[in-house]
Amino acid sequence: MNGGKRSFGSGGRGKTGGHGAQQGKDGQRRPMFRRRKVCKFCADKIDDINYKDMKLLMPFVPERAKILPRRISGTCAMHQRKLRTAIMRARQLALIPYTAE
Amino acid sequence: MKRKYELVYVVSPEATDAQISDLHTQVEQITQRLGGTIEKTDNWGRRKLAYEIGPHKEGTYVLETIDGGGDVMKEIDRRLKVSDLVIRHLVVRIDEEQSVIDRTRTRRTENVRRRRVARGLPPDRQPGEGQRGDVDDDRDDRFDLPEGMDR
Repeated sequence: MNGGKRSFGSGGRGKTGGHGAQQGKDGQRRPMFRRRKVCKFCADKIDDINYKDMKLLMPFVPERAKILPRRISGTCAMHQRKLRTAIMRARQLALIPYTAE
Repeated sequence: MKRKYELVYVVSPEATDAQISDLHTQVEQITQRLGGTIEKTDNWGRRKLAYEIGPHKEGTYVLETIDGGGDVMKEIDRRLKVSDLVIRHLVVRIDEEQSVIDRTRTRRTENVRRRRVARGLPPDRQPGEGQRGDVDDDRDDRFDLPEGMDR
């Protein structure tokens, strides 16, 4: 993989990003601070993920038109499922592309 | 059994306004014949398609909310499939999802109120309440219960 100089992430899902204390002898490893990811729908209290709401869905379908994975967006499992159905419905209606050419 | 459906159909851009309203009356007739009602119609107008469907790059979107049984939607679905003018359509049942949404909303407002009372605060957020309300889940102003629904 990548020469092993730096290791990104400590395996976990990085919920709190709290492994900044790792500053042992192997000086290569520097403390990494990662912002805690929060589910946008939980934080904003959006209960209704609707396939007609383009403004809400578009940030989760970046250029390649693939659905943004949970590990990047931080969406919780329940909301990612709802998001998925909404995006798939919107795709059927040609509101969101399946692929980017 | 009462059910609620949402129907969106995309009409070919070549269709005239008369043809589009004709399509709407067709849907209306089927619904009425099978004992349903159209609750709401919404024409989104012409918009660009996210991908080409056959020769088309644009389409006119029409949204209908229909109250009625499954046989209504079955018949409408069949008719729209046959129609040449309709290039895409989608039927979604919405009553179940809506009830789930309503339930989570009321549960949340109730929880917030209960917690506020437990902390010795009035159940509703007061104007000018400090920052605390902005960070924790006291921010319930979006889904306040209507007045007179005090517990």
